[in-house]
Amino acid sequence: MPNVFSVPIFFIVFREALETAIIISVLLGVVEQIANTRLGGDSPPVTESEKEKQNTESGVLEAPPSLPSNDGDDASSDEDKRKKLLRKLRIQIFVGSGVGLLVALAIGAAFVAVWFTKASDLWKKSEQLWEGTFALVASTLIFVVGITMLKMDKAKVKWRVKLQEAFDGKNVDNRTKAGKWALVILPLVTILREGMEGVIFVGGVSLGQPATSIPLPAIVGIICGLTVGYIIYAFASRTTLTIFLAVMTNLILLIGSGLFSKSIGNFQAYKYNKLLGIDVEDAIGNGPGSYDVRGNVWHLDCCNPERRIDGQGWLIFAAIFGWSNNGSLGTILGYVFYWIAVMVTLFVLKRRGALFTLEGTGGS
Amino acid sequence: MRAILSPVLLALSGAVSVTAGVHEVWWNLSYAYDVSPDGLGVSRRAIGVNGTWPPPPISVSVNDTLVVHATNYLDHPSSLHHHGMFFNKTAWYDGAVGVTQCGIPYGQTFTYEIDIPRSGQWGTYWVHAHSSGQYADGLRAPLVIHHPNETHADKYDDEYIVVLGDWYHTEHDILLKHFISIANPGGAEPVPNAPLMYFAHGDTYLPPIASAAPTMSPSTSHVGFNENATLPFEPGKTYRLRIVNTGAFAAMYFWIDGHEMRVIEVDGTDVEPYPVERLSTTVAQRYSILVTARNDTNSNWAIHANMDYLMFDKVPKGLNPNATASITYSSSNSLADLSPVPMEFYQQTDDRIFVPSIVQPQLPPPDKVIDLEAVFNTMDDGTNHALFNSKTFNMPKVPTLFTQTQYAAQNISEMAFGELAFTLDHLSVVDIVVKNGDVGKHPFHIHGHKFQIVNRSDNYTSDDPTINPPLKEGQANPIRRDTIQVTPMQSATLRFVADNPGAWLFHCHIDWHFSSGLAAVLVEATPQLTGVSVPQFVRDQCAVLKLPTQGNAAGNQDPSNLKGLPEGPFLQILGWRPKGIGAMFGCVLTAALGMATVTWYAISGHKLTDEQLEEEVRRVRAAKKSWKSVVASKFKAS
Repeated sequence: MPNVFSVPIFFIVFREALETAIIISVLLGVVEQIANTRLGGDSPPVTESEKEKQNTESGVLEAPPSLPSNDGDDASSDEDKRKKLLRKLRIQIFVGSGVGLLVALAIGAAFVAVWFTKASDLWKKSEQLWEGTFALVASTLIFVVGITMLKMDKAKVKWRVKLQEAFDGKNVDNRTKAGKWALVILPLVTILREGMEGVIFVGGVSLGQPATSIPLPAIVGIICGLTVGYIIYAFASRTTLTIFLAVMTNLILLIGSGLFSKSIGNFQAYKYNKLLGIDVEDAIGNGPGSYDVRGNVWHLDCCNPERRIDGQGWLIFAAIFGWSNNGSLGTILGYVFYWIAVMVTLFVLKRRGALFTLEGTGGS
Repeated sequence: MRAILSPVLLALSGAVSVTAGVHEVWWNLSYAYDVSPDGLGVSRRAIGVNGTWPPPPISVSVNDTLVVHATNYLDHPSSLHHHGMFFNKTAWYDGAVGVTQCGIPYGQTFTYEIDIPRSGQWGTYWVHAHSSGQYADGLRAPLVIHHPNETHADKYDDEYIVVLGDWYHTEHDILLKHFISIANPGGAEPVPNAPLMYFAHGDTYLPPIASAAPTMSPSTSHVGFNENATLPFEPGKTYRLRIVNTGAFAAMYFWIDGHEMRVIEVDGTDVEPYPVERLSTTVAQRYSILVTARNDTNSNWAIHANMDYLMFDKVPKGLNPNATASITYSSSNSLADLSPVPMEFYQQTDDRIFVPSIVQPQLPPPDKVIDLEAVFNTMDDGTNHALFNSKTFNMPKVPTLFTQTQYAAQNISEMAFGELAFTLDHLSVVDIVVKNGDVGKHPFHIHGHKFQIVNRSDNYTSDDPTINPPLKEGQANPIRRDTIQVTPMQSATLRFVADNPGAWLFHCHIDWHFSSGLAAVLVEATPQLTGVSVPQFVRDQCAVLKLPTQGNAAGNQDPSNLKGLPEGPFLQILGWRPKGIGAMFGCVLTAALGMATVTWYAISGHKLTDEQLEEEVRRVRAAKKSWKSVVASKFKAS
């Protein structure tokens, strides 16, 4: 189980996929709007009337006849043309998305391959030290991912505004070059960006984990993220999304705090093993002598998630809740301070009202 | 060499004297420098006597009282323990620091009187420091007591002492700090750097062979060690070899190529001659063997003393665990060395095969049984300690013997003598059932007594009576000795009569294990010490060292007040203890608060309508844009 499914990787991929799904859904909505307005005659620009048109909870854009149009075709062929254009634009979006996804996956796979074939020997020797470093990096990344995910329910609005600004005052038809490529390039770049972000996060989290633990959670994460994204796009309200994101954030922060605590535990174990002058293999075990009594708060002679033989259940418990059969002052304080940092960050963000200043909600 | 023999009676080996006398020696306990007996080129300071190392062998007649004037010129308190001697009615001469004395302060003299005529002991013994690890640092020597009508006197022509030992290149204090340390939770004992074998004849050590390498260190050049040590044999003669393992840790396997060995003495108990292929001798054990010289003399033969390296956690690279000396028939001969031997050769000698010459039937069933189970563990301070019955031994604040004499007339409880102290009634029969729950072999030694080995189990937890036999009463003549090897999972039942009022240690003779608490103290026949007092000079030496001489084990006058008793470290208590539960609760609470904050943040953010949100988005973007344009314009302007 731990060798084929890394829980943190699943959550990170899931998050990126979810965000991608939301962006694509917004794009699709905007495209529909564009198609409608282009054929809907002269109207005031969307920027002035947008607010009034926002009347559905789901946030899917109506088709306000507001974008400027320079065409004045007959009404009979309008419907036909509109459908044709909409189809064309949608294809552009999906082509862009698909290419972006492919490139992101290729780069990600290459990155992971290189990392695990060329660099993995680095941490064979002092495993505890590397594991600690990797867990520290991962927990920091997860902190950022978790906090920014909280604001993803605003991503839709944000992206809509961004896209509308992008098209604002421009002529959009199949003869306009900017319009033609915008709908390919925009999703491509977006997905590429999310994908790269995912690769970096996955890379950071996967350090110290076997390469085999990456593909399965990555694939499952993508599928789940896109599915949930689509469900939210199609049916759910923003309220549902908010609740969903709060739950997901809590889960991911639980993982992050556990990893942070584990990284401190790894550093302490490294220090202890060094003091003992023993090989890593000798150090694995429970009970007296297997751990440093200095600063120890609890030690159970069982339930060790690191043990290959009987640690399976505890490993899952450890991956999600940061469980360890050995609690030291360092690991316990680390866990507590991680959560305190979460609380402080959220309070500060709230005070500033800075809903969008943090990166990660879909970029600037 | 200031050790001199008493002019009253010159007790040379083999000399017979029927007149009781005094054999006096003056020992200045002092450092000898540049000591390098193993020839490995590492010189060190060793603890010797009168500036020389090794300390001289003592050879004395059973009719003599041995008087040792020990003056301490070391920077630590010292003592001498005459291993195996009884000290009846004079327990303060036992030399066990913390139990019968406080230690000899610098510059002071402790005169040990070993009343051999009264204890009626003869045979092969030894003397060593019983203070810290000074005997590991070299303060050890053989002590041979000759009986004019010794049982096997007619069976040999001459005798030699074979001194075995292990040798460390680092001083004991440093090694002990590494051993009992948080960096050694597994309790890996310091491994000796070399085994030692050297010989003595009477009260002098045999010199090295003529062809010895000239690189030997000058301070030990008068003694032949290992390959430079040799026993001169004459064809047809029979020799008694008295083997003493004076080591601090390593048991030795001893045998001689091309010669037969017959055991005639076990720890000072004469036994009927018994042929053996090899002898396993733990530290502190002694054996005498008869060896008859060969008639053909065209070869010299190897004498082997191989350390039992299975006792070492790790055999260091480059360690030669084997000491090889020789028997010389002619210096021009070549050496016949039949080693190496197959692994199966290394077998423990079962000491119950030996039959004492002076018959003593098994003592009657015990009045008191003391169960002692030995284990090792990492303690609550992170160091490794030895435990008897889950407790590690600590020396009492007041030497046990002092407490005994002070309260002899009162009937004070066992508790007053501290942890792992066992009170014994005068003349009661006592069984010590010592069980080895550890993975290492342990040589257990009793002070002030010899025990009968009345039972031995190869696995004391087994239900199989062939492996774990029940105790048999009425054995005709069980072996008696003072040091017994107990291998892992073995147990031994040791029976003796509590006829020796005083305080006697029972401990593992491996110095590292004794230092880490593998000991108990037998508080024997306290009421019989009424009116007896520890000599004033012994008390005075405590005063010099600023150690108390009054009170119970905790140094309190009220014998039942144990406040301040030296204790611990203790076994670790694993699992959920209050602080662990508290910490876990704290973790869960903080996580819950954190998640509540997350939820609060998400929901309060959700209160904004989409319109408000959009406005906010536009505002932020506009702010960013204007910020960017401001920067851009400034950049252009510059």
